[in-house]
Amino acid sequence: MNIIETIQLTKNYGDFTAVSEMNLHIPKGHIYGFLGPNGAGKSTTMKMFLGLTNPTSGYFTIDGKTLSSGRIPILKKIGSLIEAPAFYGNLTGTENLDIIRRILGLPKSSIDEVLELTGLTQHQKRQVKKYSLGMKQRLGLAGALIGKPPILILDEPTNGLDPVGIHEIRSLIRSLPKQYDCTVLVSSHLLSEIELLADDVGILNHGRLLFEGTMEALKDYASHAGYPADNLEETFLAMIQTDNAARKWGDFK
Amino acid sequence: MIFALELKKLRRTGFIPIFLGGGLTAAAVPLINTAVRTETFSGLPEEPFPILMDANWGLMAQLTILLVVCGCCLIYHTEYADRGALKMNTLPVCQTSLFFGKFSVTLLLTLLALSLQTASLIFSGIHWFPDKSLNLWEMIQDMGFEIIMLLPTLTLMLFTASLFQSMWLSLGTGVILTFLGSMIQEDHLILSLIPFAAPYRMLHAVSPADISSCILACIIQTFLFGIMEIIYLHTRRIFT
Repeated sequence: MNIIETIQLTKNYGDFTAVSEMNLHIPKGHIYGFLGPNGAGKSTTMKMFLGLTNPTSGYFTIDGKTLSSGRIPILKKIGSLIEAPAFYGNLTGTENLDIIRRILGLPKSSIDEVLELTGLTQHQKRQVKKYSLGMKQRLGLAGALIGKPPILILDEPTNGLDPVGIHEIRSLIRSLPKQYDCTVLVSSHLLSEIELLADDVGILNHGRLLFEGTMEALKDYASHAGYPADNLEETFLAMIQTDNAARKWGDFK
Repeated sequence: MIFALELKKLRRTGFIPIFLGGGLTAAAVPLINTAVRTETFSGLPEEPFPILMDANWGLMAQLTILLVVCGCCLIYHTEYADRGALKMNTLPVCQTSLFFGKFSVTLLLTLLALSLQTASLIFSGIHWFPDKSLNLWEMIQDMGFEIIMLLPTLTLMLFTASLFQSMWLSLGTGVILTFLGSMIQEDHLILSLIPFAAPYRMLHAVSPADISSCILACIIQTFLFGIMEIIYLHTRRIFT
């Protein structure tokens, strides 16, 4: 069963098409890796899921709900970290999480739980503007995880983290579907990242979905299509280069 | 809940000290003015309150408007500086209620500033006009009228601040409108009721026949700017 589905989802900004007729299928309880170079349309798609921007055409369903039924029923199901962590710099880590907790109507204990989970307990009383980039990223993640939402949308969650932090966050994300019974949509432009995290992968380039399926299916697809299949990094690069060349050829014609 | 939430967001921003400081500065105007020109004012035949208002309200109103401008800019700067507004947009909370939460917080602090100014006028009346009786009910009515006259300015400024992520743009707009408002002549009823001009009007100087029109005009404008914000909140997703 797919918890998130998009049907011919398109977003245009004037003449520029950020997302083009995308048909995504994200199975419940899976970690879905959203992979693509910068500007491929990953963040735009995620923003549409969160109701931050409206689709130009097409639609999507999240747990059976569409945007026409209102943003709030959809947002109640989602924890998110979009682009860069968003917070109030004048408040402490705990105060920031307390604002989210109050909106979600959660008990006070939920703050300590996520602070512990993201390793921020000892920094909870510090003003967030004094946090390092990695700590801000962890706080963003804590803000997404609070209340154990059934769907997590994480846009490049390991940005700004050191190798130890990347490993910790990766392990945490990996454990989430079992621990919290949730579905994770995680984006990255690094295949190695997605390879270690995701059950399923969707590859995007210039707003178009080039591939969707499991990691195994990606390897099969690569070998059938004549792409290098031994190294997924090379597979990904070859797919993007082929698509870019096809686009240039199309433009030239 | 939203009110408490909005108030919490303003911790360590200087929002409350700004309103206290601004309120005290405006409250100092009648004290200093009456202290240095006691004989000029005490020799006038009118009641103390109209004398004090006529002599001081122009500057007090301008300071209060500037206070509202700064407050509105600060409240939205707190939202935009570290992208707190984006986080709010991804949470299951009505954006309109957040705006009206901000409106309530700013209005409460403006009331605090106006209360300080009223207290200062009462003190000036008692201290420098000992021979004349002070009509407290008249003062309270006038301050209530000033609050209503400030509502369109507050709502329009809050709407303006919500439009710009850069505080300098909203602050610049607010300061320009403040000075434009001060240039509008009070004898033109309709013009003097537009935001940034209406707060200069004083209850005792308005003819009794026009009082209800003034109040109604300000309440309608307040609703209008509130509706403009709601429309903005609902349409911005199409363009972003």
